[in-house]
Amino acid sequence: MDHVNPNDVWAPGANDRRGPLVTYSRDAADFDYMRINVPCQSACPALTNVPAYIRSIYEKRYGHSYELNRIVNLFPGTLGRICSRPCEDRCRHGEPELGEPVNICHIKRAAYDLKEPGHPFMAPMFSSHHKRVCIVGSGPSGLAAAHDLSTIGFDVTILEALDEPGGMLRYGIPEFRLPHKVLKYEIDSIVRMGITLKTGIRAGTDISFREIMSDYDATLIATGCYVSRALNVPGENLDGVFSGLELVMDIASNKSPNLGKKVAVIGAGFTAFDCARSALRLGAEDVTIFIRGLEEELRVTKEEIHDAKKEGIKIKALSLTQGIVGSNRAEGIEFVRARTGEIGSNGRRKLYPIEGSNFLVEVDSVIVAVGQSAQPIAAPGDKNDSGILIGNSDTFQSSEPGLYLTGDFLTGPSTVIESIASGRKAAERIAHDLTGKRFREWVVRMEEAAITDRHRSWDFIPRQEMPTVTPVSSRLVDRRVEVELGLSSEAAFEESKRCYLCNLHYEIDVNKCIFCRYCIDNAPRDCIKLVEKINLNENGAIDGFIETTNWQKVNAVVIDNSRCIRCGECVRVCPVDCISVTKVELVEKNLLAGRQ
Amino acid sequence: MSAERFVIIGNGPAGNEAAEILREKSPRSRVTIFGKESIRSYKPHLLPDVIAGKVDQENIFMKPDSYFREKDIQLRLGQRVKHVDFNKRQVLLEHREVVSFDGLIIATGGKPRIPEPLEVFEDVMLTLKTAFDAQLWVDRLSKTDSVLIIGGDLTSLSLTRALINLGKKVFFIVNAESFWPLPFNERLSTEIQARLCEKGVEVLNSRTVRRLTQLSDTSVEVETDCEKIRVGVVGAFFGLVPDVKFLVRSGLDIDRGILVDENLQTRFANVYAAGDCAQVYNPVIKDYWVSIGYENARTLGRIAALNMLGEMLSVKSSPESIFSLNGVKVNTSWWMEF
Repeated sequence: MDHVNPNDVWAPGANDRRGPLVTYSRDAADFDYMRINVPCQSACPALTNVPAYIRSIYEKRYGHSYELNRIVNLFPGTLGRICSRPCEDRCRHGEPELGEPVNICHIKRAAYDLKEPGHPFMAPMFSSHHKRVCIVGSGPSGLAAAHDLSTIGFDVTILEALDEPGGMLRYGIPEFRLPHKVLKYEIDSIVRMGITLKTGIRAGTDISFREIMSDYDATLIATGCYVSRALNVPGENLDGVFSGLELVMDIASNKSPNLGKKVAVIGAGFTAFDCARSALRLGAEDVTIFIRGLEEELRVTKEEIHDAKKEGIKIKALSLTQGIVGSNRAEGIEFVRARTGEIGSNGRRKLYPIEGSNFLVEVDSVIVAVGQSAQPIAAPGDKNDSGILIGNSDTFQSSEPGLYLTGDFLTGPSTVIESIASGRKAAERIAHDLTGKRFREWVVRMEEAAITDRHRSWDFIPRQEMPTVTPVSSRLVDRRVEVELGLSSEAAFEESKRCYLCNLHYEIDVNKCIFCRYCIDNAPRDCIKLVEKINLNENGAIDGFIETTNWQKVNAVVIDNSRCIRCGECVRVCPVDCISVTKVELVEKNLLAGRQ
Repeated sequence: MSAERFVIIGNGPAGNEAAEILREKSPRSRVTIFGKESIRSYKPHLLPDVIAGKVDQENIFMKPDSYFREKDIQLRLGQRVKHVDFNKRQVLLEHREVVSFDGLIIATGGKPRIPEPLEVFEDVMLTLKTAFDAQLWVDRLSKTDSVLIIGGDLTSLSLTRALINLGKKVFFIVNAESFWPLPFNERLSTEIQARLCEKGVEVLNSRTVRRLTQLSDTSVEVETDCEKIRVGVVGAFFGLVPDVKFLVRSGLDIDRGILVDENLQTRFANVYAAGDCAQVYNPVIKDYWVSIGYENARTLGRIAALNMLGEMLSVKSSPESIFSLNGVKVNTSWWMEF
C-alpha cells in the first residue's frame, strides 16, 4: 500500500510539515484492496464514501456528511429514506459473530435532516463547452446525468412527459415513504445548476426525436420502465384487477381508486409493498401480499417488511398464481402451493408446484405488481424484438450517432442508486465523446492517519433503529404522513460510533516488528496472523495468506484487513510502534480543465 | 473412525427426545444439547399450575439431573447458538465458541408471538413461555390483584383459570389475533366470551389496544379503542412463533419456521428440524404448518433422530395431529380445556 508515486503527490501534504501526507493512486492493486476491504463503499453502485460520511456525523458535521454523499449520489435525503441499501448487506458489522450491520442508510438521512438550513453545496464547475445536450426523462438517472453534464460545462435541457420532475421517485414511491418536499428540495438543487427543465412534453409524441437530435449535440434517453409486466394468467383483465404501477401513479396524482375491503397484492418488490400499504390508506381492511418465494429472500428491506406487518399486512409465501376468478369482476385468486428447489444460475430460487395443492382466496380486488419494462419509444436506432431501443451498456450509445440511453430504460428495472450511477456514467461518456476529454476520475486517496479513537465497547452498541409514527392508526388517517421519523441527533451519533471505519488500513512494518505477539494476544478476532507466505492476485493485491503455527516458518506477522474490525488494540499495545494507520478512500478527483 | 458428533440445538421436548434416541441407537456417538435457558428441560404446559401454586417448580422437570450424566449426553445450558455455518458444518455460540458437527437437529421450539402493532409495548406486557416468565408472573401477582389478558391462545386460558383460582380480577380482550394460528371465527369468539364470563372474567368490548403505559410497578394504564382502564399486569397471548431468527440467511429455507420435507430433513444433508420450529407441508390444509404442543414435539424429535440414523420415517399429516394440543383438539373445541 505504501508505493508513493512522486508525480501523484498532491497538495496539501508532501512538503507541508503541518499537514498529513496525502497521495493518490491509480494502481489496480489499490482498487482491489478497496473492493475487498471497504465493502460498503464498493457495494454502492455510486461508490458513496460511506465511512467518511458516517465519521462526519460522529463529528456532528452534518452538512459535510451531506456533501460527501451528494457529490456522488446527488439525492442523500431521498436515498436516506428509500435506498435498497446494498452497502448494509456487505457491512462488516453484520458478519455472523459481529452483530447487526451499521444503519448506513438512516445515517445518510440524518445528514439531510440535521444539516443547517441553507447549507451551501460544493459543485466543482468547468467552463462552458458551448455544446447542448438534451435529456429525455427526469427520473434519477436523467437528473444525475443532467447534473454532471451541467457542472462539466454543457447546456442541458430536460424534457419530462409528466407534470412534475422526479420520474419513479415522484410517481412510483408513495409520500408516506418519501415526502414530495424532500424530493423537490433535491431536484431543485440539481436544476439550479443552470439546467432547463421542460415538463409536460413527451418526446416522440409532442416533439420528434429527429427534431431533438438536430437541435442538440447529444441526446440521452432516460425514460425508465413504465410498462407493467403481466402475470399471464386467466382473468387478469377482469374489473377489480389493478396494475401496481398504475395504482401508485394514480395515488401520486391525488386520485383515490376504490379497492374494497379485502385486497390481495401479487408481487415481491418495493412496488408490491407500496401498493399494499397504500391500499390500507385507501380504506382496505384486510391486505395480503402473496409471494412466490420466501419472505427472507425478498429484495425489499427488512424495515419495509416489518412496517408493512405492523400496519396489519400479511405475507403469504410459496404461492404461485394460477388465475383470477370472478363473473364480472375479480372475486378470488386461485393459487397453487410451491415447494422450494435449488438456487438457479440467475441467483433465483427454483420453485416447483405441489400437485393437488390448489387453493382459492376470496378478494374484493387484486393488485398485480410483478415487475416493469421499458416502453417502446419513437426514436431512431436498432430495436429489440419488443420494439425497445437498445444500447451498449458500457458506452451508453445506441446505433444512432449522438443518441444515448441510460438508467432503467437501458438496463431494465433496477434500484434508484443503480440508476443514479448509470446516469452519471452516461454523462461522463457523453462529455468524453463531445470533447475528447476526461473531467473526473476515480482514484484511491491515501492519507496518514492517527490511531482510531474508537473504543472497543462501541462494538457492542445495539443498532439504532428508525423510530416510526405510532399508534399505527394515526399513520393511516392521511396518506401523506411520513411513517419514519428520522434518527435523533443522539441516535445518529450512537449509530455513527458503531462504524468500524474500514477505510483505515492497518499495517505492520515487518522491519520494525520484534515478533512479540502482543498484538495477537490482544486481537478481538483472528485478524492478525502468523504467515509463511502472502498470496497476491494478478494486480498485486493481497489475495490470502498461508498461515503457519511453526515458528521456524513464520516470515511475517500481518494484519488481515478483511478480518480487522479497526479496534486499534494492536497499535495501542505494540511496544515498538511498528503498526501504521492509513486512511484509504475511493474518491472522484476533478482533472484540471479536463485531460485528454 | 472417530465417533460421530451429533449436535442438538434446543433443550425442549423435541431436542431431548432426539438426544435419547441418538444415544440409544448410536452408543458410540457424541451427543450434545445446547439450551439457551440455564435450567434443564421442563414441561412448559405446567407453568400456569406453578403460578397457581398447585405444582412446585421442582416438579416440572422432564428428567432428573443425573439422567444426562448416566446417558453421557452433554447438556450445555445457558449457551445460545448465534449462527450455523452449514458448509463448514459448524455451530457458532454467542460466546464465540465454534462446535463442529456431523449431524444436526434444530429443535429451538417457539417463542411468544407479539403482533407487530403491539411490539412497541413489549416491555410492558408479560408472556408465559419459560420458567423465568412464570417467576415474573409470581412476583408481579404478589403485588397486584388485577390482570388484563390480550389475545387468547391456549396458554392464556390455562393461566386465566389459575388466576381465578388465586382470586385475581381478570379482564380479557379477544381480538382478531385471538385464535392464531387459526383464523378468527365469530362463532368461536362468542362462545369463548360466554365461557369466560361464566367464570367471572370481565370481557372488554374493545378489539384493539391503542396504548399501554406503565405507571408504576403495580399499575398499567390501558387505552383501547373504546375505553381506558388501569390494571396491575398485562399479559400478551398470541401463540408461539418458531424461534429461528438466528438462522435467517444461513442458507436454510425459512418461512415462518424451517421448511423441511416429510422426513424432517432440511436442504442440507444430515441436518433436521423438529418440534415447534419445523414447518412441514400438509396436503390436508394445502399449506405449510408448524405443529405445536409437547407430544407433537416429542414425536417429531424421535422421527428426526431416527431418520438421522438412516431410517426414512415420515411425519403423519392428518389434521388431528396438527390441531391436537396436549390431547385437546383445538380447531373446534379448544375452549373446552377451560
